[in-house]
This record gives sequence, structure tokens and C-alpha cells, in this order.
Amino acid sequence: MRCLAPYLYIAPVFAVTIVFSFVAMGISLVASVYHYDAFAGASEFAGLENYRRALFADDSTFWLSLRNTAFYSAMCLVGVLLTALPLALLCQRARRFQALFRTLYFLPSITPGVILALVFYHIFGVWGQLLDTAWTSLPALALLGVWSGAGYNMVIFLAGLSEIPPQFYEAAQIDGAGRAQQFRHITVPLLRNTLVFVMVMTIIGSFQVFTSVYIMTGGGPERSTEVIAYTIFINAFAVAGQMGYASALAWLLFAVVFVFVLIQMRIFRSRRIYDE
Amino acid sequence: MSRGSRLALVVMILGAMVMVYPYAYMLGSSFKTRKEFAEDRGSLIPARYQPGEILADLRGEPSARDWPGADWPFYQNYVDSIRYGRVDRFLANSFIYAVLITGVQLFLNILAAYAFARMRFPGRDLLFALLLSTMIVPPAVLLVPNFLVIRDLGLVDTLWGILLPSFAGAFGVFLLRQAFLNIPGELEQAARIDGCGSWGILWNVVLPLSKPALITLGLFTFMGAWNMFEWPLVVLSNQDYYPLTVGLSYFSAETSSDWPRIFAASVMGAAPLILLFLFAQRYLVGGIRLSGLNT
Repeated sequence: MRCLAPYLYIAPVFAVTIVFSFVAMGISLVASVYHYDAFAGASEFAGLENYRRALFADDSTFWLSLRNTAFYSAMCLVGVLLTALPLALLCQRARRFQALFRTLYFLPSITPGVILALVFYHIFGVWGQLLDTAWTSLPALALLGVWSGAGYNMVIFLAGLSEIPPQFYEAAQIDGAGRAQQFRHITVPLLRNTLVFVMVMTIIGSFQVFTSVYIMTGGGPERSTEVIAYTIFINAFAVAGQMGYASALAWLLFAVVFVFVLIQMRIFRSRRIYDE
Repeated sequence: MSRGSRLALVVMILGAMVMVYPYAYMLGSSFKTRKEFAEDRGSLIPARYQPGEILADLRGEPSARDWPGADWPFYQNYVDSIRYGRVDRFLANSFIYAVLITGVQLFLNILAAYAFARMRFPGRDLLFALLLSTMIVPPAVLLVPNFLVIRDLGLVDTLWGILLPSFAGAFGVFLLRQAFLNIPGELEQAARIDGCGSWGILWNVVLPLSKPALITLGLFTFMGAWNMFEWPLVVLSNQDYYPLTVGLSYFSAETSSDWPRIFAASVMGAAPLILLFLFAQRYLVGGIRLSGLNT
């Protein structure tokens, strides 16, 4: 009985996480090789047909949505780096007001994405139909992504900055290094892991963007904002009989995101910053 | 204050205005009449709160501008969104889901984290690695697979269907295990000598010493549950079960949406978390640092 106890403690968590990750992925792997109509309950073995259709068929939107997602992700990445890190550096200097600024900049992270999307839908409309033309709609969505992610990542950068021993800066000052030099030779190298973490998490997060697209554009205009998560959603739940195809798409998305997960795991396995 | 610090302050204040603007827009629009919003959806301040109007009001003069709905109470949109949109129902649903998910997830994660942190058993490290490996799969990828599971279990459009996948999480186990590992073993031994079993040690020694981690995880879970959108959107078709997020998207998709009412509902949906955040900020920020630094 005694040796059984630990397994009883972990059993519930395992039951839930195993079913809703491993079993689920297994079921979807099987579904992805079927022509699968979830609502009618009919299915027919298809082999790799769903994958072939996604990757090579003329009417496939996979590459289009992958390209849109990659553009969106790149814009978010650049935007987050250009806002979160400078904000963290500035916030550090605004000593007395630091807590107040952190609170205000953090607001989007604690607001439901649906509400942010609804508000920005109108703000972008007031600014001049940003969501109505094909070449401005995706950048507009990325702007919302950056706006809502800046404060969160600023907090992460603040934590990273606070880990750098102040003696380093004092020593550099004595040696006559200016602010730019200090930033280049102390802050950037010692913040490297935080930087990589923020970059990878931003990429992984933005590759999954769904809510703002669903609420604000519905993939339009002219499919300019059709991203992968939205394509999967539409095929799985809005079009009948495409559940197998949607499962194949989900696996392709996983393959893309997995590359970035691997990069992140590599970096955190070797997390030694001070002995370089 | 040096020149550099002053400049930093100015930039941060400008940035803060950019952050607050959408909230001000939401709040201002929620006080407009439908006609007012249709005619001027750009202005931040509704006609009734324009400085001129307030001054005229104070002097007891009749309003200079004849804006529509002059005799209309400012909270009308809030009342109407509840009366006609059943927003109270959606808010209650969101609250119930968030409380249930937070409660159950905390309880189950505590049990598992305790076993992984304070017990020895064959296969422990392997099982822990297996559990952590589930964090690799992002939620967007799991949407369709999880739907297939819920459908095979016959739980589509039920309370269980919404809640079950969120009842445990590898991240929570990981976070609590770290906290439990920090508790000195001598305390545990002392409790054992006093006749405590492992269950008693968990509740009387380990948990009281891990309050910050528990609060952090509780807040994260609550927020995640309150904000969840895609999953309930997929699992639910019965409107009676909609959480606020899905309800709002449903209203906004109507052809003749009553936007000021939707904004009123949005204010009510955003306010609880903002209030919660103001009171529990340090736990959240600490949790982000933990997740961000993997220390």
C-alpha cells in the first residue's frame, strides 16, 4: 500500500494530461489519414492524401496561410523587440514610478483577447479602414499583437536586467565606458538568454494567433489575414467533412512550431551566463 | 532628476497613454447612445461628458448641443446589455468555469507535485519527463485533437466538455514542484516524528509554506480560464453555456450589432481581472519571472 501511494497522488494529473495530449494526438494522427466527417460520423481511409492536398494541391491554402503567419510572426517579433527591451531599460530608470508603469503596461495581458480585438476593430476603423485593405490588415493585426505583448515581455526583460550584478556597470564606468558601450558589452551579452527566450516565445505564440483574426477580419480581405490556426479552425468546424484534412494541417503546424521548441530547449539546457 | 531620467519618464508616460487609450475608448464608447456612436465613433468622450456640456449642466442651463438621448441615464447600456443580451448569464458562466478550473487544477496539481517533489518511487523521473513533454504541444495544435476526444467521450456541448481538458497542467505541476523542493527536509521529518503521514505533511507543513507559489498558479489559472475563447467556441453550441468571451464574439458577429452595449459588456468582462490584478500584482509578476527565467 505504501509503495502505491505516490502513484495514486500523480494518477489524476496523468489521466487528464495523457488523454488530452498523447491520446488526443494519437486520435488526430489517425484522423489525418482518413477522409473524416466528424458530424456525419463517416470515414474512409485516405492514406497521405490529406497531407498531399495540404502541401501540393492547387486549391490548398496551407502555403498562403503559412506565409501570412510567418509575416505576422516576423512583424510581432521585430515589434516586441523594439518596444519591450527599450521600455524595460527606461522603466528601470524611472525608479519611483516603476510599479505604476508596470501595472499600466501589463493591462493587455490580463484582458480577454476577444475584448481587445473588439476595441481595436473600431480603433483601426477610426484610423482609416486599416482592416479593409489587403496590404494593411496583417500589419494592423501585428500592431495589436505588439501592443498587447510589449508589457508582458517588458516584465521579463526587467527580471533579466535585475539579475545583472550592478558591479559590472560600476567597473565599466571606472574604466571609462560610455552608456552605449555598457549596453553593447554588458547588457546585451548578459541578457542573451532572456532575449532568446522572449524571441522564441513570441514566435511560438504568434504562430498560433487566432482570436484577433476570427473577431476582426475573418481571414480577409482577399485572404490577406488567413493564418494557419484560422485555416485549421475553418476546415475543422465550419466546413463539413474536412476533419481529417484539418488534423493533417494541425500536424503540419506542430512540425513548424516544434522547430522553435527545439531551439528553446537547446538553449535552456545550457543556461550558464556568467562563465563565458 | 537628471536629464536622461526626465526623458525616460516622458517616454514612459507617452507609452502609458498608448496602453491606456483603448481602455478609455472602450469606457467612453460604453456611455454613448447607439446613434451617437454611429455618428461619431472616434471621440473618446461621449457628448454628455464634454466639458461644455458639464459646465452648462452645472450652471443649470439647457444643453447647448442637442445630443440624442439627453434624458438617458449614463448606465443604460450596462442595464440593456444585461436585460437584452443576458450578459449577466455569460459573466456568471465565465466565473463558474474559472473557479471550477482553478480549484480542481490546483488540487490535482498539488497532489502530483507533492509526489514528484517529496517521494521516491520507481519511474519517478521518467514519469515527470513524460509529463513535462506534454508542454511541447501548443494549444492551437491540440484544438482539433482535443475536440475529437471530447466528441468520442460524448461530452460536446456539456459542462464537462469545457472543463475537463483544463483540470490539470504540466506547467502547474512543474511550478509547484519547484516550490515544494525548497522546503527543508527537517520540517518533514519533525512532522513525521510527531505522527504525521504523508497526507498530513502535505496539508500541515508543505502547503502553508508554499502560499506564494499556490497564489501565483491560482491567479494564472483563473486568468487563463476567464480569457479562454477558442476552446469553448468549438465545444459549445448551447448559448446558455457561453462564457463572456464567446458571448461577445456572438454579439459582434450580428449584422446590426449594438456596439455601445457590446462595449458596456466588455467593460464588465475586463474589470474583474483588472481589479484582481491590482490586488495581487506581485504574485503575478513573480510568476512571470519564474516562467520567463526557468530558474
